[in-house]
Formats: sequence, structure tokens, C-alpha cells
Amino acid sequence: MQKYLQNTFAKQLNKASFAQFGHSGHANKKPPVRVAITGAAGQIGYSLIFRIASGEMLGPNQPVILHLIDLPFAMAALNGVVMEIQDCAFPLVKGIVATDNQAVGFKNVDYALLVGAKPRGPGMERGDLLKDNGKIFTETGKHINEHASRDIKVVVVGNPCNTNCLILANQIKDIPKENFTAMTRLDHNRAQHQLADKLGVHTTDIRKIAIFGNHSPTMVPYIDQMTAKNHKATVDQQWVSQTFIPTVQQRGAEIIKARKLSSAASAGNAAMNHITTWVNGTSESDFTSMAIPSDGSYGVPKGLIFSFPVSVKNGKYSIVQGLPISPFYQGLLDKTIKELVDERNAVDHLLK
Amino acid sequence: MEVQQTLTVCVTGAAGQIAYSFIPLLLSGQVFGQVKINLRLLDIPKMETALKGVVMEIEDCAYPLIGDIQTGSNPKELFKNCDLIVFLGGFPRLPGMERKDLLQKNANIFKEQGEALQEVGKDDVKCVVVANPANTNCLILSRYATKIPRQNFTCLTRLDQNRAYAQVALALNKPLNSLKNIIIWGNHSTTQYPSIEHATADGQSFVLPDQGQFIERIQKRGAEVLNARGNSSVFSAANAVKDHIKDWFNGREDTLLSLGVLSNGEYGVQSGLCFSYPIRCLGAFKYEIVGNLELSDFSKQKLKVTEEELIQEQGLAESI
Repeated sequence: MQKYLQNTFAKQLNKASFAQFGHSGHANKKPPVRVAITGAAGQIGYSLIFRIASGEMLGPNQPVILHLIDLPFAMAALNGVVMEIQDCAFPLVKGIVATDNQAVGFKNVDYALLVGAKPRGPGMERGDLLKDNGKIFTETGKHINEHASRDIKVVVVGNPCNTNCLILANQIKDIPKENFTAMTRLDHNRAQHQLADKLGVHTTDIRKIAIFGNHSPTMVPYIDQMTAKNHKATVDQQWVSQTFIPTVQQRGAEIIKARKLSSAASAGNAAMNHITTWVNGTSESDFTSMAIPSDGSYGVPKGLIFSFPVSVKNGKYSIVQGLPISPFYQGLLDKTIKELVDERNAVDHLLK
Repeated sequence: MEVQQTLTVCVTGAAGQIAYSFIPLLLSGQVFGQVKINLRLLDIPKMETALKGVVMEIEDCAYPLIGDIQTGSNPKELFKNCDLIVFLGGFPRLPGMERKDLLQKNANIFKEQGEALQEVGKDDVKCVVVANPANTNCLILSRYATKIPRQNFTCLTRLDQNRAYAQVALALNKPLNSLKNIIIWGNHSTTQYPSIEHATADGQSFVLPDQGQFIERIQKRGAEVLNARGNSSVFSAANAVKDHIKDWFNGREDTLLSLGVLSNGEYGVQSGLCFSYPIRCLGAFKYEIVGNLELSDFSKQKLKVTEEELIQEQGLAESI
């Protein structure tokens, strides 16, 4: 019965899913771009899809065709999401593809936000997490390589995002490797707020900070070059070690404790920010954080998906070089490098 | 870029699902443009911890337009100095509950909040009531906040309007921006009347293949989404709140819009009821009810049905 319902919904969905709201009218003269979201029926998807559809990610003049991808058992819920998108009467949404078929889901896609991953269940070891996600991201990598736009920009959000991105990118032969990134923007935004709070300024007045490393408790919030309102700013080292770093590391858990649900809205927000900055660029007075394939900078082994400070221009990012790394930071960098190398070793069999 | 203006906006039911989706939209700049928003987040004492989590996430979004944030459970504290209050919070319908109970429980809440508005609210504060039964809650609110101009009280029928636009676009296979003047009349309930009588597509009036089916689908869309999602229409509701406020604030020249407002007797509707009408939004939170549209007998009959329901609701709510 379950399978019958799944198939029925999938059929209904695929029938309705290619419904177009008509080609562009007199407004929105740009051709639409295709934006894919995996885990589209989930909580982060729910926060993300609607904000993208309303024009926040790529601007009010950029029409979009949404590609919503999830697992077969989620197709009924995804159908509900599609209905709600219709009920928003978004002028920028020129079509919706809702599917559990990744070949269809990634066809000609220009931007992909890969939220879907095997979530961490109670008692699950990180090793188990890597094994399950290994399968998911290998398959997704193959489909992206075969079907997506050759210029696709990808951000992996589903955890463990750095290593999931590594697995994914390993399947890519025909698209530049630098197009495959993972998200540390949430940690970056969280760090920005904590510092703003400490210094008594607005969050957006904190600039030139960055996250190095893995999106995990070993991530390194680097604040050596921090500015507040464009003036160099410092905070005392004790506060950094004893309050700031632990707070940013544990923020996710703190939010779960308070809300009884995970931080979907802020995670979705960060995923959107990651793409928007990648497209629009960073300002002269700032840089951002993206987990990208390492080119060996800062002693990070080549090929690891590692978060660096980057400046972005014309849709391309480049690592901010030459930032001073004190012994304190070097110690933290070593830890996060080791963790990522260990993760890579754990999925070595998938990287052949 | 230095952001000059500031608005203070209160959201009730701030720890709830619609608020969770609405707050990012409010802070995105889509509603008021480059205006800083001071947030006042109100919910019941039981939700205090959850509300802290909501605030943490707002902080973690690093919104350029966020001002200061206050939270609490006392409307007499949080309604002070507000320019706009979005009433998302209400008593939810529990299994086995009669409509009468729902009405009376919510009437109590909106009486209390109306009294708070009367005592501490800014004289010109704008109100959007979303919590159901939205129209009657809005009516109660206005009854207890008599110092505030009648036209400042609105309730949400924009979700129904957006749904209607979407269904018409699909039926006619036309883009959304070719459609104008689809109006939701009456109560935000299953008696609402979604009307295409004065609507146009590419400037021409049109008919639908099955008007009865269209009307019924809009009336029951909430249930349709509930069945599919296993949860109510959260984001589309939040989006409609955003649209309602945005157009009310900025004005819309190209089309009439549906807002629930306090009737002065337009179209023979009992004065004082909160009724969704065709509205011309003039900008700066000013609007006028378009009161002179020709209505077919079919339409007049539909209006009577929904008005009747609102009169009944008012009776039940006022028996508190």
C-alpha cells in the first residue's frame, strides 16, 4: 500500500511538476536560471526554497526554475511544498520540477544547494555518517557530471559537508573542480554576531573574519585581521579561547535545546548567503568564508575541501593569501586538517 | 550604506511556525526597503525558551536591517512604540473543538490585546490580524482599541488571493503578471467568495472552464495543503502576510487587492464587520475601499452567505 501511494504521488507530481506559469512577461527580461535543492521536502529546504523563489538569492530581476529533489518517500510532502509555492504567486518562478529522479532533477541546473544528507541519528558514529553519505554523494556527483550545466555552482550543506563535497567532486570529470564548495557561512555568520555583540557594534560592522577548516567542532574562527566599522579591532585572548570559540562551536546544539528543532532558518539563510556572495562578489573591505578545494595554501593538503578566507569577484573566488598565522591558530589549523585527512581516509574507497 | 529610518514591528505568536517563516521576509528588506526594523517578539510564557532560540537564529542570520530585539509575554510592554503589529498568535483549533469554543477562546485573547493597545499603543499603529478566525479576531481587537483609527485594522485574505491568482494562471496558462483584480470577498473561511467578475487577463475579462470548482478549490485549499504536507500552509501564509504589508505600505497602482477591513456598509454589508473587499492601496499605509463595482446576482448572493457567517461569529464571540 505504501509503495502504491508513493508511486501515485510520484506520478501526480511528475505530471504537475512541469507546469509552467507561462514565459516571461514584460518584466524579468533575463532568461530563467535553474536552481536545484536536494532534501527539498525537509526543514532547511522549507526555509530556503521560498526565499530563493521570492528573489532574495539572485535578485529581483532574475527569474528561476526550481528543481526540487528528494527521496521517494518524501514525494507526498514535496507535492505539498509545490502547492504552497504556487499559492505564493511568485512572479519570478517560471517553473517547478519536483522529482526523486536525479537525472531529471539535475538536468541543465545552474545552481545546486545540496541540503539532503543522511542525518545523524542517536548513537550514530561519525564513521557511520560518512559511509551512508558516501553512497548518496557518489551518486549525486555522477548525475551532476552527466546532466548539469557545465558552469554549475554547487554548495554542499548536508553534513559532514566538507567530506560529502569531496566525495561528490571526485565523480566530476567535465566541470571545473572549483565549482564544488561546502558551506561554512553559518559558522561565519555566527562568529560575526558574537564579535559584534562583544564589541557593541552592528553584526554587519564586523568584517575581515574567516572560518578555516572543517564545518565541525574543529572549525577555526580566525579574527586576527578583524575590523569593526572598518577600523582594526581586537578582543582579549582569554575571551576568545574560553567564550567565543566554544560559543560558536556549540551554537547549533544550543539552538536545538531552546527550540527543540534544529537551526533550519539560519542554516538556510547561510546557504543562500553563500551563493549570493559567490555570484555578487565581496566588497573591498571584507572577505567571506567558503569551504573549497585546497590548493596547498596555508599548508593545507591539496584537494581537501577546506574552509578558507576568500574574496570573490565576477563569480570566481580566490583565497586571501598571506594572513599571519600565530602559533595559537596554527595549533587549531593542525587539528582541523588532521580531522579532514582522517575523514578522507575513511572514505578512501570511494575516491578511486 | 547607513540605514536611516527605523520602524518598530511587533509579531505575536513569535515562537510559532508562521513567525519562523515570516521574520526572515520582514528582515530581508522586501517589505519596507532599506529601513531598520526593531523587533518586538511576543508569545505566551510557556514559549519563552523557544523564543530565545528564535532570537539566536535571527542573530545568526546577520541581517543588515535588524535593529534591537525585545521578547516577552506582556502586550502592555511589547506594544509600546510599535508602528506595526502582526497578530500571528491565537488559540489553535484542537481536535474535538467546536467552532464556538475557538471563537470564544480567541475573543478573549484579542480583547486583552485590544485593551493593551488602547492603553500603550501608538495612536496610529497599524494592525494585521492573521490568527484565525482572522476577521472576527480583528473586529474584537478594534472594539477594545477605540483610540486607533478604524482603517488601521486589517486582516489577512491575501493568502486566498494569491491562491486564486495561481489557480487562474494555471487554468488560463498565462503568466501571473498578466492578471489583475481577482478579489476575495468576505470571511477568510470556507464561505469566502473568490471573484473573477472584475478580473482581467491581458486587459480582457475572462471566464473559467468551471467557476464552481475554482471557487471551491480556493475555499478548501488550506485543507488540501494540510493533507499533502501533513502540516498547515505555513510559508505561503507568511509570504501572504509579507505581500499584504508590502502593498499596504507601498501602494499598488496596477491592480486592486484583497484586504479584510472594517466595513462602513459598502455593498450592503453590516457596518463594523471585518470584511474582505476590493481595496486600492495608495501608499504610506493609506487605502480606499472600492465601493462602486457592479455585482451580479450570483456575486450578491455569495456576499450574503459570507456576511451571514460573520454576523454569527460576531454573536458567538461577543457572548464572552
